[in-house]
Amino acid sequence: MISFHLDARSGIAPYLQIVGQVRQALLLGLLSEGDKLPTVKEVVAKVAINPNTVSKAYRELEHLGLAAAKPGVGTFITRSLGDASLAEHGPLQQELRTWLERARAAGLTEPGIDAMFQNTRRESATEEI
Amino acid sequence: MIWLTWRQFRVQALTALAILAAAAICLLVTGLRMHHTYAADLATCTPRHDCSDALSAFGKSYSSAFNLTELLVIAAPGLIGIFWGAPLIGRELETGTNQLAWTQSVTRSRWLAVKLAGVGIASIATAAVLSYLLTWWAGPLDQINGNRFAAMTFSSRDIVPLAYAVFAFALGTTAGLLLRRTLPAMAVTLAVFVGIQILVPTLIRPNLLPSTTVTFPVNKTTASQATGIYTSGGGAEIYIAGLPVPPGAWVISAPPVEDSSGQAVAAYNHLNCFPGTSGPPTKGTGIDVDQTAACLAAYHLHQSVTYQPARYYWPLQWYETGIFLALAGALSCISFWWIRRRRT
Amino acid sequence: MNAVLQAHALGKSYGQRQALTDCTLEIPLGHVVGLVGPNGAGKTTLLKIACGMLAPTTGRIEVLGEPPAAGPAQLARVGYVAQDTPTYASLSVADHLKLGAKLNPRWDANLARARIDQLDLDPRQRAGKLSGGQRAQLALTVAVAKRPELLILDEPVASLDPLARRDFLRHLMESVAENDTSVILSSHLVSDLERVCDYLIVLVASRVLLTGETEDLLAQHHRIVCSRRQATDLPPELDVIWAEHTDRQSTFIVRSQTEVPAGYWSAQHLELEDLVLAYMESAADRGRRPTTHPTGDAR
Repeated sequence: MISFHLDARSGIAPYLQIVGQVRQALLLGLLSEGDKLPTVKEVVAKVAINPNTVSKAYRELEHLGLAAAKPGVGTFITRSLGDASLAEHGPLQQELRTWLERARAAGLTEPGIDAMFQNTRRESATEEI
Repeated sequence: MIWLTWRQFRVQALTALAILAAAAICLLVTGLRMHHTYAADLATCTPRHDCSDALSAFGKSYSSAFNLTELLVIAAPGLIGIFWGAPLIGRELETGTNQLAWTQSVTRSRWLAVKLAGVGIASIATAAVLSYLLTWWAGPLDQINGNRFAAMTFSSRDIVPLAYAVFAFALGTTAGLLLRRTLPAMAVTLAVFVGIQILVPTLIRPNLLPSTTVTFPVNKTTASQATGIYTSGGGAEIYIAGLPVPPGAWVISAPPVEDSSGQAVAAYNHLNCFPGTSGPPTKGTGIDVDQTAACLAAYHLHQSVTYQPARYYWPLQWYETGIFLALAGALSCISFWWIRRRRT
Repeated sequence: MNAVLQAHALGKSYGQRQALTDCTLEIPLGHVVGLVGPNGAGKTTLLKIACGMLAPTTGRIEVLGEPPAAGPAQLARVGYVAQDTPTYASLSVADHLKLGAKLNPRWDANLARARIDQLDLDPRQRAGKLSGGQRAQLALTVAVAKRPELLILDEPVASLDPLARRDFLRHLMESVAENDTSVILSSHLVSDLERVCDYLIVLVASRVLLTGETEDLLAQHHRIVCSRRQATDLPPELDVIWAEHTDRQSTFIVRSQTEVPAGYWSAQHLELEDLVLAYMESAADRGRRPTTHPTGDAR
């Protein structure tokens, strides 16, 4: 069962953080189609957040087509993102690994690597628009 | 709410029960023995016609126990007011637990009503047991003393202690509610209760019913009925003691001998009537009653005695009970009104 | 009736001292409402009026459609935990649950027992011997097990350590999720509130300065950094809440119902804590100018 956390300082709305964490879990293969998400009550009992936040996040997941609510039973994942992605993009991951080795060899620190990656990603995202 | 009242009162109730049980056993054991001895002494002295001496000796032997027990029964309502009344609401306000109690699903009025009724009934019961025990125990001694109206005696017999218990309890709870702290409420309750116990027998009780005043002219006839003449205040006042009043009456006041205009007569103005003394006569200087009375008769003086007859005992008990129950009621009304105010 | 609390021009004074002034509120149902403000702002007074412990001096208030503590039925619908979570020191945990059962018609004994088990509290333990966190949890259990529609909590976690604080909030949220209870809780720590509260009331110096859904408030407020200028030089649709100037630069915190127009400035969203602080500071600076909605004329 997935567990959530709240990053109060991230500037991202709490419900979006939950959506993001579900997405991440799907990508990592921790969740797959048919898995049951924890109930709102279970989530807030572990993480002290507002139940409406969780409800809103689950509704957003439904809207995105990632999950579906079965009344009286729970909310279930309807689509996998995990294995397929990783399997399909094995070569990509290998390229990334190579690049990382080169970046470290060039003397970049880990934060430096993160910063370069984030900036480049953002720039290229806006360019694409 | 009844359960909660009991649960909060449990320790105090059990303590009181233990004390009452101990007192009851004590009084029963000593009382039975005393009643037995009294009956025996009475049987012995009656044929010998020296009962007054024998019985007064009997009475003296129990005098300290008598006074102590009377004191206990008078103090008990005060203790009830201090230890049961003052903390009842005062403690809740002090610790803030009223915020827990008043936000359940019972209104404040109901909360207060049940607490007052519950512990109030316990107070009455405790006082009733003590009063009944003492009234029974002191039976022989009361007969010997023949003075049911004595301040401590009247206050510790029959129904008056119950009224005091209700009053002291209401006083304590109201003080706790108004002062919002237990200790100050206890102090106030103690002070007021002691004050009442001092003032009521002297100022209020005698005037609850109209009293009877008998005036005796100062002459030989009077002197023969009196037990003595004495002076006081350095010779400024003359008193004739022991003048006959109806049996069992309660002498409230006996002002000094007055002349026909109502002025007190000073002994040093009539030194000729007080022979055998040099200077102003003082009490206990062996004044001859008959001679002095005969001498003073010429001046048309009189001695008044104000009393309540013996048959007023029970009416006075009822009146005093009524007054204190009414006071307790008024205090309770104040409590109910105050608790609904929600000012702070 | 879909307001959990409605107050109109509510005021409370103690002699000379004004604890609440002209408070108008309409809090919708089904929210966890955070009442935030500095110490002495009037939060406790407002909550005490809401649960019927105090009567207002002026104005009127309705909780769940009725005046507070109007009768046993209304008392049953509202649960209250006072500051410092008072409990009866000489009564045991089990006694407190019995108290709740005897004094509340809608008492849920199973819920109460389940919570006590979950909290690992010994039912025979006297409340006076519990830790602060345990007492708070006990008081919360008593309030929650009476199945109220509204829970009012006055600084429930103020004196708790971080773990006890987190535990308390977790259990509170669990109750809310399970029973669909509305909650109004006060705190002077904003960090407690931003996790759990989806509706906010900012109370400073006896006045309500800000109310609204947390998300909306965060979306509507921006920090604008620009070259030195007057507040009046900004576009009129921006409501200036707070301003700070250096010789070269001005920083404003503004509120706007619409998007901030483009201009020679950087506009960012705020953290909740900064937002609340901005209102508190602006009230302090302005020295209590009497408005409930601060107008846009700062310095």
